[in-house]
Amino acid sequence: MEPIIHLNGVSMIYGGNGTRATALSGVSFDVRPGEYAVITGESGAGKSTLLAILGGLQIPSEGTVRIHGVDLSALPSDGLADFRRETIGFVFQAYHLLPYLTARENVMVPMSPERVSPGEKVERADSLLAAVGLDGKEDRLPSQLSGGESQRVAIARALVHDPPVLLADEPTGNLDSATGEQILDLFSGLNGRGKTVLMVTHNPANLARATRSIRLRDGRVEEDRILAPLAV
Amino acid sequence: MNIRKLAWKNLLRRKSRAVFTGLGIFLGIATFVAISSITSQMEGAVQDQLDRFGANIVVSPRAERLSLGFGDIALGGTEVAHSRLAIADKERIASIHHKDRIRSVVPFILAASDVSGKNLVWMGLPSTDLAIARPWWKITGSPVRERGEVLLGAEAAAMLDKGPGGTVTAGNRLYRVAGVLHPTGEKEDGMVIADIGDVQSLAKNPGAVTYFEVAALCKDCPVEDIVAQIGQALPGARVSAIRQVVESRKAAVDQLRRLGFGVSSIVLLIGGLMVLVTVMGGVQERTREIGVLRAVGFRTRSIFSLLFWETGWVSLLSSLLGAATGIAAAYLVAPSFGIEHPGIRMLPALLGTAAGLVLGLLGAVPPARRAAALSPTEAIRTL
Ligand SMILES: Nc1ncnc2c1ncn2[C@@H]1O[C@H](COP(=O)(O)OP(=O)(O)OP(=O)(O)O)[C@@H](O)[C@H]1O
Ligand SMILES: [Mg+2]
Repeated sequence: MEPIIHLNGVSMIYGGNGTRATALSGVSFDVRPGEYAVITGESGAGKSTLLAILGGLQIPSEGTVRIHGVDLSALPSDGLADFRRETIGFVFQAYHLLPYLTARENVMVPMSPERVSPGEKVERADSLLAAVGLDGKEDRLPSQLSGGESQRVAIARALVHDPPVLLADEPTGNLDSATGEQILDLFSGLNGRGKTVLMVTHNPANLARATRSIRLRDGRVEEDRILAPLAV
Repeated sequence: MNIRKLAWKNLLRRKSRAVFTGLGIFLGIATFVAISSITSQMEGAVQDQLDRFGANIVVSPRAERLSLGFGDIALGGTEVAHSRLAIADKERIASIHHKDRIRSVVPFILAASDVSGKNLVWMGLPSTDLAIARPWWKITGSPVRERGEVLLGAEAAAMLDKGPGGTVTAGNRLYRVAGVLHPTGEKEDGMVIADIGDVQSLAKNPGAVTYFEVAALCKDCPVEDIVAQIGQALPGARVSAIRQVVESRKAAVDQLRRLGFGVSSIVLLIGGLMVLVTVMGGVQERTREIGVLRAVGFRTRSIFSLLFWETGWVSLLSSLLGAATGIAAAYLVAPSFGIEHPGIRMLPALLGTAAGLVLGLLGAVPPARRAAALSPTEAIRTL
């Protein structure tokens, strides 16, 4: 099967002459559709940088990145924005909901530049919120939601455009373990329905649900292991 | 949920910031609208008042050798006048095509005559026209109200040693001194002013007129046209506009307009800077939010449009409010600027609203560019 993610010799060097920081050096791996890869590594190993590159938020200093058949280095900035909208769903540790919008409105944010009828947008948001178990809480503000509920809203938001790839940077980092488990259940469910998931995590317990583990160290892939065979 | 609504929600959440941003524009536009609607109404009022203030056209006989002009009227018979002016010519002047522009036509006669043993120049004009022709004269006593009364110029009074209530003799007649003119620095200081009929009899020249002073309302009408029309009506006369008077009126109004424009430009500029600063601060504060929007696939254009809608809403509302306040303020203070019939000028209000909107949007350009240039990772680095 064609890999959905193809990285070859990816390096990321921050800063200029004096203060050069190498965040990634020569990272290469392929991810096939439907994989659930957990990315681990110490703080500063380059995990977030890797996700930013995979999500087209950052252009690597070197190497090629091809995702879902698109060569990211060839895309202009609008092309990258379109790529993110159509192909990638981001979930962050700190949720990053807009505090002045209700749950429903937060889910609708990615659709706001689109010429879709308001009714259709609401319908789509509500069905996504129901899918993450937030039925009846559509009109709450983030301040009126628990951490787990906020993260569910963020996941619903990431799913708005039904992207094939989900990128999550420590999505359970701010949650207690029980709530974290529920969020991981959601990811497992999504993975079960065919989404490719790449999740950065510090928590070794998260490895249990993944099909693959990639460990970074000082910007290099230290270990790349298949945990469970992919059901084809 | 669309960009417009997103922008609106964001504004509501930061009400005090929005109010502060809007305040600059509000004050700028209110000042601009108030000043420009007052100045545009004042132009009319000033023009009216200036036009009320004495004449701006002089009609005198065409003379062969000497060029005649206001304040330079030759006396006696040294030059041969081609034609003489008479009281009847007043009708001709008053019936030109632009007659509705003519506020007043005042006949004057100048004659040299003996007064209580001194040879002085007499200036005669209809006593009823005195207030119209010389509204700026300050008089001790009272002005000439009827025949048989005279008004003495300051020097003439000193020379004759007469004051209000005294009498002078001329041509075997007794005249009562009604008042004495405060020094004006002009030729009338040495003159005796009396009713035109008295001076005509003294000069033994009934009906004679030395010159006419015409006060034309020359707001948006070239004084040249009026001059030409009087010239046609009185072919034998020399008609000249007192350029200086006309020009200084224009200059006064122009100055007023420039002052108004200058003041409101400065206020508007400050308003624009306030928008720039607050929106710029907002962008910095919202680095993360903008990063999230980019992460969920907002194109640069959508980020731009979000920031533009935010300032757009603020500047639209505050410009409209500013324009309304400006109009109201102009209306209320109009009387103290000599505007007798204050009106509502729509043009400054429309211009003001448009200017406020443009300014607000311009103020958003640098912050929007900055937001668009933000690296999304920097924006979400605080993960
Ligand atoms: N904008 C930047 N400029 C300079 N150096 C940077 C920048 N962003 C990241 N780095 C450096 O790159 C390296 C990798 O950073 P990254 O954020 O990817 O680490 P991480 O694995 O996500 O760490 P953590 O677990 O603490 O989140 C670090 O050494 C970091 O200091
Ligand atoms: Mg990180």
